[in-house]
Amino acid sequence: MNLWLIPIFPLLGFLANGLFGRRTPKALINTFAVGSVALSFAWVLKTLLALSPMETKYIEHYFTWIQSGMLNIGVDFAVDRLTAIMLMIVTGVGLLIHIYAVGYMEHEGGYYRFFAYLNLFMFFMLVLVLAQNYLLLFVGWEGVGLCSYLLIGFYFTEQFATTAGNKAFIVNRIGDFGFMLAVFLILRQFGTLDFSQVFDAAKGMPAEASAGILTTITLLLLVGATGKSAQIPLYVWLPDAMAGPTPVSALIHAATMVTAGVYMTARSAALFTKAPISMDTVAVIGLATAFFAATIGLAQMDIKKVFAYSTVSQLGYMFLGVGVGAFSAGIFHLMTHAFFKALLFLGAGAVIHGLHGEQDLRQMGGLFSHMKITAITLFCASLAISGFPFTSGFFSKDAILVAAYERAPWMYWVGVLTAGMTAFYVFRAWFMAFTGEYRGHAHPHESPLVMTGPLMILAVLSLVGGFINLPHFLEPMFAEKAENQSLAWLSAGVGIAGILLAYLFYVAKRGLADSFARAMGGLYTLVVNKYFVDEAYDAGVVEPLIEGSRTVLWRGVDAGLIDGAVNGVGRRSRGVGSILRLIQSGNIRSYAAWVVLGSIILLIAVGFAGALR
Amino acid sequence: MPVNFIPTATDYLRILPEIIMTVAGTLIMLIEGWLGSEKKKTNLSVLTFIAFAAALVAAVVANGSPGLSYSNMFIVDGFATFFRVLVIVVGILSLFSATQYLKREHAESSEYYALLLFSVTGQCIMATANELIMIFIGLEISSIATYILAGYLRDDKRNNEAALKYFLLGSFATAFLLYGIAWIYGTTGSTNLDTIRIALSTPGSGRSAILAGTSAALMFVGFAFKVSAAPFQIWAPDVYQGAPAPVTLFMSAGPKAVAFAVFLRVFMTAFAPITNRWEPFVWSSALLTMIVGNFAALMQTNIKRLLAYSSIAHAGYVMVAIAAHNQIGIAAAMFYLAAYALMNIGAFAVITHFSRQGEKFVNIEDLAGLGWKQPVTAGLFAIFLLSLIGVPLTGGFFGKFYIFRAAIDANLVWLAVLGMLNSAVAAYYYLRVLVVMYMNEPGEATLSVQPVSAGIRATLWLTAAGTLVLGIFPSVLLNFANSSSVLVK
Amino acid sequence: MTLLSAVIFLPLLAFLIVMALPKENHNAIRMFSLIASIAIFIISLGLIGPVFSATPGKFAIETNQSWIQTPAIDYHIGLDGISLWLVMLSTLLTPLCVLVSWKSIDKHIKQFFAFLLLLEFGLVGVFCALDLFLFFVFWEVSLVPMYFLIGIWGHDRRIYSAVKFFLYTMAGSALMLIAMLYLYNQAGTFDYTRILAGSQSGAIGLSSSEQLYLFLGFFIAFAIKVPLFPLHTWLPDAHVEAPTAGSVMLASVMLKMGTYGLLRFCVPLFPNAARQSAGWIAILAIIGIVYGALVAMVQPNMKKLVAYSSVSHLGFVVLGIFSFTQQSFDGAVYQMLAHGISTGALFLIVGFLYERRHSLDISAYGGVATPAPWLSTAFMITMLASIGLPMLCNFIGEYLVLQGTSLAYFRWTVFAALGSILAACYMLWLYQRAFFGQASEDLTHHMPDLNAREYAIIVPLILLMLWMGTYTQSFLPPISASNAVLLGPIDARREIHVRAAPAHIGPPQISPPRTLAGLNQELNNAR
Repeated sequence: MNLWLIPIFPLLGFLANGLFGRRTPKALINTFAVGSVALSFAWVLKTLLALSPMETKYIEHYFTWIQSGMLNIGVDFAVDRLTAIMLMIVTGVGLLIHIYAVGYMEHEGGYYRFFAYLNLFMFFMLVLVLAQNYLLLFVGWEGVGLCSYLLIGFYFTEQFATTAGNKAFIVNRIGDFGFMLAVFLILRQFGTLDFSQVFDAAKGMPAEASAGILTTITLLLLVGATGKSAQIPLYVWLPDAMAGPTPVSALIHAATMVTAGVYMTARSAALFTKAPISMDTVAVIGLATAFFAATIGLAQMDIKKVFAYSTVSQLGYMFLGVGVGAFSAGIFHLMTHAFFKALLFLGAGAVIHGLHGEQDLRQMGGLFSHMKITAITLFCASLAISGFPFTSGFFSKDAILVAAYERAPWMYWVGVLTAGMTAFYVFRAWFMAFTGEYRGHAHPHESPLVMTGPLMILAVLSLVGGFINLPHFLEPMFAEKAENQSLAWLSAGVGIAGILLAYLFYVAKRGLADSFARAMGGLYTLVVNKYFVDEAYDAGVVEPLIEGSRTVLWRGVDAGLIDGAVNGVGRRSRGVGSILRLIQSGNIRSYAAWVVLGSIILLIAVGFAGALR
Repeated sequence: MPVNFIPTATDYLRILPEIIMTVAGTLIMLIEGWLGSEKKKTNLSVLTFIAFAAALVAAVVANGSPGLSYSNMFIVDGFATFFRVLVIVVGILSLFSATQYLKREHAESSEYYALLLFSVTGQCIMATANELIMIFIGLEISSIATYILAGYLRDDKRNNEAALKYFLLGSFATAFLLYGIAWIYGTTGSTNLDTIRIALSTPGSGRSAILAGTSAALMFVGFAFKVSAAPFQIWAPDVYQGAPAPVTLFMSAGPKAVAFAVFLRVFMTAFAPITNRWEPFVWSSALLTMIVGNFAALMQTNIKRLLAYSSIAHAGYVMVAIAAHNQIGIAAAMFYLAAYALMNIGAFAVITHFSRQGEKFVNIEDLAGLGWKQPVTAGLFAIFLLSLIGVPLTGGFFGKFYIFRAAIDANLVWLAVLGMLNSAVAAYYYLRVLVVMYMNEPGEATLSVQPVSAGIRATLWLTAAGTLVLGIFPSVLLNFANSSSVLVK
Repeated sequence: MTLLSAVIFLPLLAFLIVMALPKENHNAIRMFSLIASIAIFIISLGLIGPVFSATPGKFAIETNQSWIQTPAIDYHIGLDGISLWLVMLSTLLTPLCVLVSWKSIDKHIKQFFAFLLLLEFGLVGVFCALDLFLFFVFWEVSLVPMYFLIGIWGHDRRIYSAVKFFLYTMAGSALMLIAMLYLYNQAGTFDYTRILAGSQSGAIGLSSSEQLYLFLGFFIAFAIKVPLFPLHTWLPDAHVEAPTAGSVMLASVMLKMGTYGLLRFCVPLFPNAARQSAGWIAILAIIGIVYGALVAMVQPNMKKLVAYSSVSHLGFVVLGIFSFTQQSFDGAVYQMLAHGISTGALFLIVGFLYERRHSLDISAYGGVATPAPWLSTAFMITMLASIGLPMLCNFIGEYLVLQGTSLAYFRWTVFAALGSILAACYMLWLYQRAFFGQASEDLTHHMPDLNAREYAIIVPLILLMLWMGTYTQSFLPPISASNAVLLGPIDARREIHVRAAPAHIGPPQISPPRTLAGLNQELNNAR
């Protein structure tokens, strides 16, 4: 099957553009960049068709990566239904976004660099989903983190961009710390990192034996997931990540990379299901993040920030789904989210593009007339994310919420409330951007076809994507959850209510929002400032660490204590030397005296020695 | 046994080196009279060299027929030959490095050569003496000559002061030695080392042992003074600094080495039976010497004084070997003294060359940038310094190595540890010289430096070669040392 | 004259030839040094084959000739999987150092290159010596040229740093020499293989206290060289003051002398003592990892930053060595090589920057990426390698070390792994401050991109980073084989852990914390 071809194409694209892009014309760069992704998309289709129906896992072993003692880690790729879905999403959506980017980046500097990074990202992402053992997965895991860092800091002359990049990388590192510890424990426990072997062994473990260790392992994995998928407490990097070009936000920080945590959790289902405590933790963290991020989304003025927090919130839904055992639902939502959130970002990108870089909703308004396609497609996406009946979001979100209800009703209710908020803030954004009269100063214009094309395709997917019955497709891997129509309708209703509320606030009765905000007062400022979490982290962790290292460790211990001691010894011995010099008076009589003294001491000593014996 | 006072041919053969050098010395004194002009006087140095060379040959030949002579007053064995050869070589080298110096100071005259010869003669006698009185006589011959050499430049205040100090304190210390000889004679009724040993080793009363111990202590004072071991090192810095550079070169190598030789011979033969009495004060003195030498050297600015303290420190290392009081120890000491003589002569030769007339430039700082002005000289100097530090592939390293090995063999591990740490301290002040030579910009002293004279160059190359050979193929010397380290036949 | 002896002594020969060359003819000196060092590297490639084909546990290309009769000291050299790569590292880096010094060294050119070659002689020798005494000789020989390299061609505080470097090492090696002598007295030989055999067969009986003292004697010398916290303070000074080539050789190879010594001598020769001391040594190593990273984070000076990062990285190596598992041993050695490549490259690139801007302060840079994109890319890749990104060399080492450690003492792994977070912090921050941002007018002016010579220096290293990170099979097998042998005396029981596991189903196997009593118990069982 040559699965290795799938990631290799983008890698070649990366090398071609990275090494020679500086001199090659744009056309050629596009061919390499888009062409490579198209090729791997094609290869994915071919492979999946050839492998269907994929009752069992298909594995390819290439070579031994690390062999030490009994530890043996191979470079193995594998495809099963879960991977298949991920492959489709990554290459499919990835392809669309690459095409879109050709238009979006038209006038940007570092064109070749951008596409090189984007291809490199595709490579690592595909390695991540194809990997057949934890360490190889980690390769992709770290690799996508790297590309995210590079792309967030794409405008590297801008302080905020590079800082955001560092933040993303370091926060992810914190997550990876947990992930690696989990890997160590897994190997220590099972003697291998190969998925199949680990999961088989885990399945075989009796409950009392597995509970302790598996809980530890899965919780550590969860730490990794929270880092990559921007969950509490490690979500802080994602909003800042919007510093990167919009296609990046769409591809990496909405559709693919950030969902890696969900994928990894689903992939490790065999371990999680054996550790109920971890499952609950996942669910609670997911739900909390969903709700918490949604509230922040309510008050953001930067269109990309709104969608960023919405991404965090939606990822929360996925974790909720996974946490309550509805793995298939989680992945289902992962897919639909990939459609509509990518669309949201690309649409936002189109708006920003059309406004020459303006991102502030307050500087928009009445754009509908200027950019119809963008507006309409964005409208579809908004409907989908709000869970409007029969849109893709409706099915996937509903599947999660129903499963949540099975687990614990209160989770369901919180979920529904969040759904309402989601609908509200998305449409708030939509109304602020497209309705009313234009408040900005730029000259809005519609984007070229190369950009709107992907928008339309994604719009269709967002609307009908829900009819792909993913849970059923994944059934052989994860047991499907029960359906419960009434609950679904309820959540949908709340969603619609949210939309109407947004309409009321931002179209029907303008100014109501502001007065409402004023009424809320403190709470509002709290939300606008994202609960001051960043500030808290800075004051509580970053600053103390740096200052402590500088004053206490470096100046104090290193220069002061250790070197001080060493130099002190040196000084002291020279001091001894200068004392010894005093003996050298140069006065001959004193010398003679010394000789006498010495010999007397000697004789006494000998006398004693003699007496003693 | 009936003593036969008519010396046999072998007797003469066995002290041939001493005879040659005495005769030569006397001749030189005489002939100076009737060759007036300056240039002819250079021939004297040639004559001296010939004498030394002949003596060297004689010493080697003498080794062919080892044994006692002159009714057991002398003994020719490997040990004796080793030190004879060593001191004669030292004599030759100091002759090389002296010639240009004497010209420079316009003080070229026969005394210098004669005294050199006499001093070496005395040292040879010490090396071969098998009897305390003989040792004493040899010691005096060598010392008196050296006293005068130390004050060789009559008009130079520093020289005179050095000579006076050296003389007064020297004789003072020698008195202790003589007193010690008296005690042991009183105790055992003999001054012959073997007889004393036998007398002491016979299970006698504890009292005689105490007396012997006391006399050992008294002699120790005398020897310790000569080898500049603490607490009797006090004279060394002043004298070394004050004396003319080539003389310091000579003093720090020859007399010191041979003093250690007799030290070893006496304590390892005569006093062997009462080792447990003298061992403690030897090792304590060793430790004290190392510490005093190294730490006092840290602060020195005058390079002659620095090397004086370093030579004290090195005496300390040799004392460690004596404290080990075993075969390996003796061999180690012999090897070390040879290596030390070479590297130290080399170092002092550089100073002799660099200090210029009236020894203007004897501060460490004066050497600034020499490494780039006279790379060869500086390079050789660097070799000597590295050897003094004890960096491998130099004689100095192997010397230390064997000494500490001997110490560990004698379960003096802690002494070895302290010794090694001391040598780490020592590295600091030697490094300072290297730093100045290579890492500072040349000063006026360096810029005005003259080309190296033939004699000095010869000395430098010979000693450097020796230092490296001893560092890379130590066996050449060590095997001989090992084979001749058996003092008690 | 075997191939190995040739590789050892050709640098010495080259040194002598350079000394003989006229000092005015700079280009001849440079050219000769370059050609000679490259030739030596090419010759040293021939060492790989024999080592791969050697039987495990045996040394390849062994030469054993008597050098000094009493005490019996032999010229005994040989290579195994560990020393092979360290030798290769030295021979590879020397030509690169010649290249990087091509222009940057402008005074006393002849002596500089001579010392560089002399240094290579010492370094190669150290890794080949199988006679304790011979090892010591090379150990000290390598010290002298480095002292001069720092002291003569260094920056402002070069003398202080050079002397500090020399004295630190001196003090350590003094104790080591005593330990060697004592060992000789017990074993009657300096021959490593014979001592090892003797101590395993019990022919050389050392009481546990003797073992401990001897262990410490060696350990302190090596710990200073590594350097292990808190003996590390000579390193930042030495690095900052040394010329680029000096820093490179120092960081990439000389520091490895310490870890190599630990692995080759400390652990196998004194297994009990090593076991007893493992606890506190590991703690020092972990402190070093975290502490080094934290201090690196706040350094205003690039070289100091990299120097402290070395403290952190070598902490991993020491930790790996004293976890006594196959994986941690392999990881330690791999980390030695990886650190040699990546940190060497870091210093080289910092050297490039210094040549352009004549400053090591991070604040003097900023925005380098705009005028010099390829330079920045090279630094980026090197940096990523150094912070342990997968597919680059360091990751393998760190992973194996931590994995191996986790098999023995999971607790330690938790703390050690923090190092990888902090590594990202200080490196990324450095990169942001130096390479990102707006380039000032005058910086743009003085910041040309890489030139051919610099490409020739950095590209091979980058390729090596990728190779070592992606296809470890070309490097790891001989290392593993040799480590398995070294692990013999100390105990390979940890393996059981991993071997049994796949089949094994049962209570989690977190091995109990090792008390001293437990250790001795274990060792008694082992005997």
